[in-house]
Amino acid sequence: MDAIAELTAEQGYEATKIGDIVGRAGVARKTLYDNFEGKEEVFLTAFDTAVDEAMRRIEESCTEVEGGWEERLQAGLEAFLRYVAEEPALARMCMIEALSATPAATERYEDTMQRFVELVKRIVPHDERLPDTIEETLVGGVAWIVYQQIRRHEADKAEDLLPELSEFMLAPFAATAGREPA
Amino acid sequence: MERLPRGRHGLSREYVAQNQRERLLGALAECLHEKGYESTTVAQIGKRAGVSKSDFYKHFESKDNCFLSAYDDSVARIREHTVAGCEAGGAWTTRVLAALGALLDCLSREPAQARLVFVEGLRAGRGVYDRYQEALQSFVPYLRQGAPAPPGETPPPAATDEAVIGGIASLLSRRIAAEETERLAEFLPEIADFALTPYIGAAEARRIISGR
Repeated sequence: MDAIAELTAEQGYEATKIGDIVGRAGVARKTLYDNFEGKEEVFLTAFDTAVDEAMRRIEESCTEVEGGWEERLQAGLEAFLRYVAEEPALARMCMIEALSATPAATERYEDTMQRFVELVKRIVPHDERLPDTIEETLVGGVAWIVYQQIRRHEADKAEDLLPELSEFMLAPFAATAGREPA
Repeated sequence: MERLPRGRHGLSREYVAQNQRERLLGALAECLHEKGYESTTVAQIGKRAGVSKSDFYKHFESKDNCFLSAYDDSVARIREHTVAGCEAGGAWTTRVLAALGALLDCLSREPAQARLVFVEGLRAGRGVYDRYQEALQSFVPYLRQGAPAPPGETPPPAATDEAVIGGIASLLSRRIAAEETERLAEFLPEIADFALTPYIGAAEARRIISGR
């Protein structure tokens, strides 16, 4: 699974062949087929594993931080950016290659976006004056900035985005938090 | 795009060629909408457009080439509409609202085109994301130009423009994928609220949108 992340990050999903994966992983072709049906299943399993691990770290940071929702939101965002910085190949696989690898991968990507939307919804205060879609647009905006950072091959510096992205995510809730006249 | 009459019609060769090309591009968008990129064939595109296979190859080298032309044409049309909204003049907030309104209107009137740009096209791979990224980035200067800062605060950080545009695109993509294209105009107040808030604050954004 590490092998498919590295290879798709280097050359894209389409160009990555089963032979490349077993070669990089140093396992026999038969071993791969004993464990997976084929390339797509390796990719999807690697995707799920990476997303679950990222989610686990993010949720842990949100829970452990002291303070209110603002601190929790920031801690979650920070954990996400740290994961991208520490695992650039996995980040590229999940946030870039998955978008167009196969229909099942696209679906996984969209489900993951939805998981992030729901996570943000659980953290931020409810305010009926805010658009119903606010969490969707915020998550989409953050994903877009990180997507571009990865494409520029600067995933390792993703944490530099924290101040700007947390300001962006907090801005709509400023009035709710009493920092702006409602 | 209407088919042309058969037989002698006195239309110029350039007109016929242009009409065929546009029909093929429209047909491709419709085929993608129905069955996705992989299952769409040149024969199906030709059949739907009423253009023979040999005429198809006079316009495009391949399905990929037809697809990328359709993508570029659609992006250009959507962009033109949206920018025309910006260029209508007025205060920055007025221009942003006009551009968003024009964008949503253009998308909801041409669902196959919207789906091509925001859903099927992106799923097809083939370097389309470069085009998508370029298109989104091309809106950044329009949003940035004349953008105010919330009263008494520092201007929003540089990534804000890109995050606002990316956030809107992501929402559109999700809603278009969910077959909600024809009611996109209903999202105008929400999208406008999201777009204006980082620059003028939530309270002022609401005041402007509700007074629209």
